[in-house]
Amino acid sequence: MKILGQKTNRRFFLSLFSLSTLTSFFPARVFGVSDYRNDKNIPKQYIQNRDRPGFFIRSANPFMGVDVEEWSLSVRGMVKNPIDYKYEDLFGLKKKSQVSRLKCVECWSATAKWEGFLFQELIDHVRPDPNAKYVYFQSADSYYESFTLEELVRPRVLMVYRMNGQLLSKDHGFPLRLIAPFKYGYKNIKYITSIEFTDSRKRNYWSNHGPYSIDGTIQPGIDHPLDYKKKPLPINGGEVFHPFDKQPP
Amino acid sequence: MKYFLLFAFSLMFFFACEKDGVEQINVIIPESIVVPEDMVYIPSGNFIMGHPDDPGTKRGEAIIQEAFLIDRFEVTNEQFSFFNPSYTFHPKRARFPVSMVTFEQAENYCKSNGRRLPNETEWEKAARGTDGRKWPWKKYYEHPNNGFSGFIPEAVDHREEWISPYGVYGMGHNVWEWTSSWYISDKAFESDPNRYKVIRGGLTQTHTVIKFTPTFFRNKMEPAAFFNFIGFRCACSVNCQEG
Repeated sequence: MKILGQKTNRRFFLSLFSLSTLTSFFPARVFGVSDYRNDKNIPKQYIQNRDRPGFFIRSANPFMGVDVEEWSLSVRGMVKNPIDYKYEDLFGLKKKSQVSRLKCVECWSATAKWEGFLFQELIDHVRPDPNAKYVYFQSADSYYESFTLEELVRPRVLMVYRMNGQLLSKDHGFPLRLIAPFKYGYKNIKYITSIEFTDSRKRNYWSNHGPYSIDGTIQPGIDHPLDYKKKPLPINGGEVFHPFDKQPP
Repeated sequence: MKYFLLFAFSLMFFFACEKDGVEQINVIIPESIVVPEDMVYIPSGNFIMGHPDDPGTKRGEAIIQEAFLIDRFEVTNEQFSFFNPSYTFHPKRARFPVSMVTFEQAENYCKSNGRRLPNETEWEKAARGTDGRKWPWKKYYEHPNNGFSGFIPEAVDHREEWISPYGVYGMGHNVWEWTSSWYISDKAFESDPNRYKVIRGGLTQTHTVIKFTPTFFRNKMEPAAFFNFIGFRCACSVNCQEG
């Protein structure tokens, strides 16, 4: 006889019995995590998860968005010259643009033209201590992310203030977000308010609240691009390029 | 008492779930060939390469492969740090596979030991033997997914139950591995024969496709890339230990 496709021999019953007994040692929260992300009671005017055609919106902590008059970017920690940037200061940094795909950990992906500046611009201004190997980001919606400094100085990583020829919209991270195309979308933090250089790695939001790794590097597998009707396409790991994407030289 | 029971039932569960070992090919090594302890001798002869359903592969063609030697395990963090002292790792991960290395760094490591990277034909034969099996261990196992998005590397000698029929570890899980082969394809978007190197292998854990990667699956990567999911092992011809 078979149960759930398994032969019901002595080994099967032994494993079933021991597993069921083991589960009683653990509290219920280990096995069940409530998902509040699709809460229907979130006010409509809040930035929240929305499956918009072409580019889905994801927001871990729904909020009203950033008032740019109140906003500043604080860059500090293990640096020689801590700096607070106002919004207009961002446009004085050397501009760079690229088209790249944002790959969500939920499987979908979407492309956009992103404009902003390289992280190296900030490094040149604040001059980090040589022992500062890690960078910790915080955002206006109580989100946080961490990276190695080496990851942030890769050539396709951008600090972004424009998307598809327009200033970033509230939904996509106004006034400033990160685009690291070789990392899953949850690493691409939006509404950035502070950047701290540190000598040890801090955890990120999703490693504390869900089953996502701190590292978040895109792994080989399958993608469902929104610009390809979500049909499955293989990806080889790292930044995603599909056959119809233009690759950098 | 609670901890004793926890321990006892954990032991019971572990042994109840224990899998049988992988049946090994009986290989006779010629007396003239010296096989280092950390390498495996792969004899000459035909093997089935690729799969008929995967057009990117050799489609199940019988391929003749000369005998060669290949590392039994993926190169570890500790081994690589002897070669490159600036490479750092967590002390508890000394026996984990090295990663974040480019193709060139991997190739240079192998050369420093009088070895080289395996080409993809060698890699596939070492992984699947001669019977055309889909996974190194032959039998179908459910992927041990626990819902975590990310992958969890392990010590290179950890999974005896997942060795290949030649006794090579880590060819269907742990990290992807650089090979010396260029990725050649007839598809226009990947037709530049000098853009990508073939990487082979697969991960123990991933977030979407919860399956083990088949032994015939070909992945590709630009040689300058370095990611936490790519490592390597070395190989050499049967006479590389001479002189």
